[in-house]
Amino acid sequence: MMRRTVGRSDSRTGPRLVAALFLSVSLTVRLSGQDSQFSVRGLGVPGRWESVRARTTGGAFGPFDPRSSVADVSLTDALQLTATAAEATTYRRAEIGGSRDDLRSSRFPFMGLAGPLSRRFVVGGGFATYLDRTYSIVTRDSQMLRGAYAPYTDRIGSDGAVADLRFAAAARLRSWLAIGAGAHVLSGSSRQTAQRIYDDTTFLGTTQTAVVRYDGFGISGSVALDPVPAVRIVGYARSDDRLRTRLGDTETDRTDLPTTLGAAVRWSPSPSARVAGTVMWRSWSDAGGFNTTSWSAGAEVGAGPTPLRFGVRGGQLPFGPGTVAPTELGVTLGTGKGFSGNRALVDLGLERLVRTGGGLTETAWTVLVGLTIRP
Amino acid sequence: MRRAALTAALTAVAALTAATACTEDVTAPGHCPDFCPSGSINGVDTVLQTVVQRDSAFRGFVQPHEASSLLAATLPGVIDSRAIFRTLPIGDSLVVESGTTTMGEIVGVDSLTLALTITRRDTSAHNLTLVYYRLQLGIDSTTTFGGLAGSWTDSLRSLNVDSVYALAGHVDPLRGDSVFVDTTTHYVTVIAKLDSAMAPFVPADSGKVAFGVRVVADSRASVALGSVESGLGPRITWYAEVDSVGKDTVPRPASTSDQFDSFVFNLVSPAVDTTLDSTLAVGGMPVARSIMRFALPRAIRDSVQISRATLVLVTARPPEGVPADSFTLAAHGVLADFGAKSPLSPDASRVATTRVHIGIARGDTVRIEMTDILRSWQIDTLAPTTLALRQVPEGTEFPEIRFEPSTNTGLAPALHVTYVRRFPFGKP
Repeated sequence: MMRRTVGRSDSRTGPRLVAALFLSVSLTVRLSGQDSQFSVRGLGVPGRWESVRARTTGGAFGPFDPRSSVADVSLTDALQLTATAAEATTYRRAEIGGSRDDLRSSRFPFMGLAGPLSRRFVVGGGFATYLDRTYSIVTRDSQMLRGAYAPYTDRIGSDGAVADLRFAAAARLRSWLAIGAGAHVLSGSSRQTAQRIYDDTTFLGTTQTAVVRYDGFGISGSVALDPVPAVRIVGYARSDDRLRTRLGDTETDRTDLPTTLGAAVRWSPSPSARVAGTVMWRSWSDAGGFNTTSWSAGAEVGAGPTPLRFGVRGGQLPFGPGTVAPTELGVTLGTGKGFSGNRALVDLGLERLVRTGGGLTETAWTVLVGLTIRP
Repeated sequence: MRRAALTAALTAVAALTAATACTEDVTAPGHCPDFCPSGSINGVDTVLQTVVQRDSAFRGFVQPHEASSLLAATLPGVIDSRAIFRTLPIGDSLVVESGTTTMGEIVGVDSLTLALTITRRDTSAHNLTLVYYRLQLGIDSTTTFGGLAGSWTDSLRSLNVDSVYALAGHVDPLRGDSVFVDTTTHYVTVIAKLDSAMAPFVPADSGKVAFGVRVVADSRASVALGSVESGLGPRITWYAEVDSVGKDTVPRPASTSDQFDSFVFNLVSPAVDTTLDSTLAVGGMPVARSIMRFALPRAIRDSVQISRATLVLVTARPPEGVPADSFTLAAHGVLADFGAKSPLSPDASRVATTRVHIGIARGDTVRIEMTDILRSWQIDTLAPTTLALRQVPEGTEFPEIRFEPSTNTGLAPALHVTYVRRFPFGKP
């Protein structure tokens, strides 16, 4: 009896510790996605609506992962209450015109919560980065002031993001058919700074700051078909209406947001091996950018609590200079570990990403840490 | 075992999270225009020629007897000014012996020492000499240079400051004079000994005595002596003979300071006419101030960030004096615009100063950096955009400068301002 009591205590300690860690991390930090120099122009860099598990498969498992928010229909696989969060630390290198800059940032790009209301009906929600608006640009120039050139340094920065607050539900209508739908509230802000410092200290530096707020709305829907037990096909769509930008009480900009269409297929040849591929198209030209097509392929090998995941992804970025959309290509590798009967899951991943466009080559290593609890 | 593994794993995850969560460096050089924000910082440099729309000058802020310095100057063709002061009485009796309360009547004096503090002098003026005069006790704030014309005929004695300072120990053992220089403040204390013939003790006056001091030198002489307002006023020490209650007389010292001090002057040069006209007068004696009222464009007051603002004043009449008479000119914000009686703001950020040197010519510009003042006006939109041009400190210099007023188109006070326009936040 005593040993059983101890065993029960152990089984609860793990999830509680994970929950404490999850809450202490997720509620005290701001939500943002991966920074990029490509977020300087346009609306920003689109975020990834993927958990660490899905992201380490190149994103290919995103439409099938109940912890991700790519396709609402994936919630049907959340057979118990599940909370998840991700942390990403990125080390970037931007090279352009012979110059090279090493940058780094840490973000918490994703949080989700899902749980079944009944055997066939699951609801969920959470936050994900919709657009990242974080950058800081430093330029040097001079200006003729009082008969002499006055060199100065300008620093223009933005620190923030547009978050996607999702409320979704999914239902399994048949053993081979499930549907899902969601509503998305886009909300966020960025603290923007414009600073000029003259080399000549008789000219005082100026610093202007403003908090720019964003809001918008979107809906999404998805359907999953299981033509055979080993294969699942998911189709999903999403429509976001517009992104309204406010400075105080004044609307400074209003931009149409894209429509998203995607499809994915997953094949599970055995209980310990799964492969998936996905493709997504987004009409970013509605927002003044380039329409983008993204693809990914990935696999998860190994049954049980410690699988091996890897994947590759590619596609385009919606904003950049010139007439051709910047492109990105990435490879990922990751694993996971379950504790306390898989009530606590830790996912680890590494992502290598290369973005090119307009003469800029941006490479990045991203360390991913995901925490999931199933109390 | 499971618990240990779980704890170790969670600790590792927590450590990894903590190690990677607190890193942030997103600053990179911009490669414009492709990888720079669409908006840019727009700096503007402009001269506001008509920003001062009303101005006026007022005189009488500090009278000679209120000044913190007693101005003595002998500037041929410009000004002749002399310090005057009257000491406090010491009574008709003194304590006979230290430690007792026995008082003895003053029956005579041996000598008197007079200490003056020179707070400013022109070091190029050699053989600086103080000439002492005995004055009538009736001097007061209404006393004028002309009213004392008869008192300047016979001096008591003179003291060559440079000669005494050159002696060993800076003391003249023969005459009892001494000169001390404060190495910190560079103030020069001059102690002159006057014998009983020069400074007789008049029992009816209880020891009150009045003196006048003139300054001369090989070249143009101009000094400032400390006044009672500055705490450095003239001090005298009587060396009196006291009746030792029928036994004998004993010498006793008795020190006192001055009761009244001032200076009288004769403006020789018509260039230092104190009559106010439309120009903006600052300084002089009695002290003049000029009030300038700014009408800032709304955009500059509300919507820009100021990097530098310079008030540009054109000299209408240059100051006259010796190089040591160079003075500090201040543009001082006011709490309320009541014209001549505008109370000055105690906020140090609303004061801008520059140095006005003797030797500038008519038409020369005087510039005062007033960036902080303009920024304070932006912050406090209820503050009056009015400045008082004044000398700092007031009443310590004779020179007066006058600037072209706002009515003189082309030479009016101008504001050279460098600013940054509001950044277009909220634009993609």
